[in-house]
Amino acid sequence: MAATNDIATRQAQNFVAGLAGATPLGLSSLSDEGRAALAELPVPTRRSERWKYSPVTAMLASPVSSAPAPKSWPESVPANPVPGLDAYRVVLVNGHVVPEACDLPVADGVMCMPLSQAVKEGRIAPGDEDWTGYHKREWVGAVNAAHAQDGLFLSLESGTSLDRPVLVHHHVTGADVASCPRHRVCLGDNARAEVVLWSSASNQASGMVNAVLEARVGAGARLGLDKVQHEHGSIFHLAHEHVTQGKASTFRIHTLTVQGHWVRNELSVLQHGSGAHTVMHGAYLPKGSEHVDNHTTMDHTVPYCTSSELYKGILYDRSTGVFNGKVFVRQDAQQTNAYQQNANIVADAGASINAKPELEIYADDVKCSHGCTVGQFDDEALFYLKSRGIGDRAARALMVQAFIGDVLEGMGSSEVADEVASLLAERHGWM
Amino acid sequence: MPTEHAAAERVFHSNKPRENHGEHNTMAYDGEDKILEEVTGKAYEFGFTTDIDSDKAPAGLNEDIIRLISAKKNEPEWLLEWRLKAFETWQAMVEPEWPHLQYTKPDFQAISYYAAPKQKKELASLDEVDPELRKTMAKLGISLEEQKRLSGVAVDFVMDSVSVATSFKDKLAELGIIFCSMSEAVKEHPELVKKYLGSVVPVRDNFYAALNSAVFTDGSFCYIPKGVKCPMELSTYFRINESGTGQFERTLVIADESSYVSYLEGCTAPQRDENQLHAAVVELIALDDAEIKYSTVQNWYPGDEEGKGGVFNFVTKRGMCHTRAKISWTQVETGSAVTWKYPSCVLKGDDSVGEFYSVAVTNNHQQADTGTKMIHLGKRTRSTIISKGISAGKSQNSYRGLVQIMPNADHARNFSQCDSLLMTDRCGAHTFPYIETKNPTAQVEHEATTSKIGEDQIFYCLQRGIDEEQAISLIVNGYAKEVLNKLPMEFAVEAQKLLAISLEGSVG
Repeated sequence: MAATNDIATRQAQNFVAGLAGATPLGLSSLSDEGRAALAELPVPTRRSERWKYSPVTAMLASPVSSAPAPKSWPESVPANPVPGLDAYRVVLVNGHVVPEACDLPVADGVMCMPLSQAVKEGRIAPGDEDWTGYHKREWVGAVNAAHAQDGLFLSLESGTSLDRPVLVHHHVTGADVASCPRHRVCLGDNARAEVVLWSSASNQASGMVNAVLEARVGAGARLGLDKVQHEHGSIFHLAHEHVTQGKASTFRIHTLTVQGHWVRNELSVLQHGSGAHTVMHGAYLPKGSEHVDNHTTMDHTVPYCTSSELYKGILYDRSTGVFNGKVFVRQDAQQTNAYQQNANIVADAGASINAKPELEIYADDVKCSHGCTVGQFDDEALFYLKSRGIGDRAARALMVQAFIGDVLEGMGSSEVADEVASLLAERHGWM
Repeated sequence: MPTEHAAAERVFHSNKPRENHGEHNTMAYDGEDKILEEVTGKAYEFGFTTDIDSDKAPAGLNEDIIRLISAKKNEPEWLLEWRLKAFETWQAMVEPEWPHLQYTKPDFQAISYYAAPKQKKELASLDEVDPELRKTMAKLGISLEEQKRLSGVAVDFVMDSVSVATSFKDKLAELGIIFCSMSEAVKEHPELVKKYLGSVVPVRDNFYAALNSAVFTDGSFCYIPKGVKCPMELSTYFRINESGTGQFERTLVIADESSYVSYLEGCTAPQRDENQLHAAVVELIALDDAEIKYSTVQNWYPGDEEGKGGVFNFVTKRGMCHTRAKISWTQVETGSAVTWKYPSCVLKGDDSVGEFYSVAVTNNHQQADTGTKMIHLGKRTRSTIISKGISAGKSQNSYRGLVQIMPNADHARNFSQCDSLLMTDRCGAHTFPYIETKNPTAQVEHEATTSKIGEDQIFYCLQRGIDEEQAISLIVNGYAKEVLNKLPMEFAVEAQKLLAISLEGSVG
């Protein structure tokens, strides 16, 4: 066993060496810490509980390197992938912001710019470079910290709100490319913002995307995230979102994996102020031999908070899915109301799902429940539709849409929801 | 204590007809039964030590100790080799850290791996049994002559590691049922032992299974021949008796084709200051169309109110179900400082059924990480998991379960329900279910809820003159009823009392 680990460690060292050429973001203490942690932290393998269903061994097998900053945004790709969406834009290619294609808001109390610019302007105080310590706990986090490139910097003063959502579009092009975008969102008290995180990749693209988003939601503030993964090619996508919520704040996220070769989404939400509310929705419909892993952590640390989590997946062909939802209710978090639901359909022989809905509860006056199911479509419902003259294919499509439909509810913008629905319909032949 | 005991014995032996089953929970507040009066004794009721001369190996574990154990038990060469191989495997393994438990790891070199009550000659009748031992049995409420006359339960009583007396053997022998100690089975039925020992729980299965395979001293062996329905509930009492001795039981139950057996296992242990290690292995084999019902009431010493002392219970229990066979695990866990236990079913044959019903109570500083594994291999296999956790004091109670549907298990079905009840704001209740499905026709459902004991319900009882302790006992018994109903009659009564005793003064 030790021998296998040595191979993984050696592979990891080679892999990381390929990233060394990246243009540094300028957060030097963060990258120093990241580099130090890379030498210390174990590489995720099947032997680690958190990574047993999604080892990164396959990714490490083919070396990657950072791509140079592109001259311009690729013409063949629309900078705004969502037709009809009226949004501010921060666009990135292979981890680099392309300033010409960006459209940034200018308003009192709003600071929105590429992260690299914020670093240059000294808007990130020393010692405040990182809010989570993720890079000290996880090898993949250390990779991002050590080699972070650029991303969104959004900061709203108290009481301000954005009139339009901010679209962050990350596109990958080229073979064996490593991209490490890093985003930072900070909402002052009672501020409001909607962010759309869209990732795409060209057909020939391959390599790794290792993305981190850190957000702070102030008291009474409201942050919404629509996160869509629609990547062609064969990308290993590791994403980590970490959100800290203040008193009576609301955080909502929809994580929708339309297409992706190998995806691992890690989402953790920490409620710091009482009365906070969190909504986490997610859908995954992998095909072929795709792999989608959703790890969520909901941490209730203070009283009177609520959370509601709904993840649904349909696994086609030989695809694999993972859902690991963890709900913590700390000792002081009395009167918590936490709900978690995960429903899966294994559509074909060869597909598989590994689900692990976890509760860790240390307070007594709480209401917590979770449910997890794996099943098939209801034959009787199918028969009902067919008996009314709807063909087998159309009837199945209708049922899939109904199954996924409630996950799409409550998204920040209806344009994004419509686009996701039509991309799914196109991909799975529901038209 | 003596008066309490008389009552305990009476309840245990009462041969009430099955129809009374539904009334169990009413007994908790039935004045005549005096169960609640017994409950008021706060100290660990069965905490006493019997003073018997004991044949004890020096502390430590090495090949020589294993050879000594094997020699003491006059074992054949193949078994010694098996043990030595297991020891080699164990040495290469590391103690698991994934359970949600915090404890000081036992020092395996400080434990004595063999202790046997001195027994020179074969016993022809009960009169020849050491009077000290007889007294212990009486205290436990399982005096053998009483058992024979009243209860119709055959008891294979294990004192530390060697079986000292077995009853009803003749009656069972008429049907061809073999029910004896493991050491006897090794001598009398080597072909069965050789075939099945380690077939369900392989030596390298886990750290404690490997340790057990190397040093197990005794346990029960049971074989039910083809087509035989065992007419009585087979029962074994385990008891850790010798100071500083680990208990390594090995149980093997084989139900041949179309047979049926119900097996009971219950434990109490004397009060101690140092932690005692208990690492048992139980293997069940249900051949085609057979059914095994395995019930456990576990009440090892949980440590004092500060969590000092108490038994470490690291048990591997697993059953293999062949075609159309059924294995049902029922457990009531109230004891142990640390529990690590996952009675599992491998549903190998088509149409086989696995069931798991569990009530786990933790109080004071107890910790439990318990649950089950249902591994679906055959077509149309079904499994049910009902787990009820009750946490009180400063305890931590975790459910950890695996439901695995393999690619060939077409139309497999699982239903799991895990409920947790919290009694104080300083305890914890956790759920870690693993669901791994690799088949498109499988149907798996899991649900879990966590809630506080109902203040309204307690208030309702108080209003009607039922005091708080009784009210809690009533509510908890109602909450756990689904599982308690699955227990055989005698066990159900004992289990109810245990629940009440375990939760004494626990409401925060």
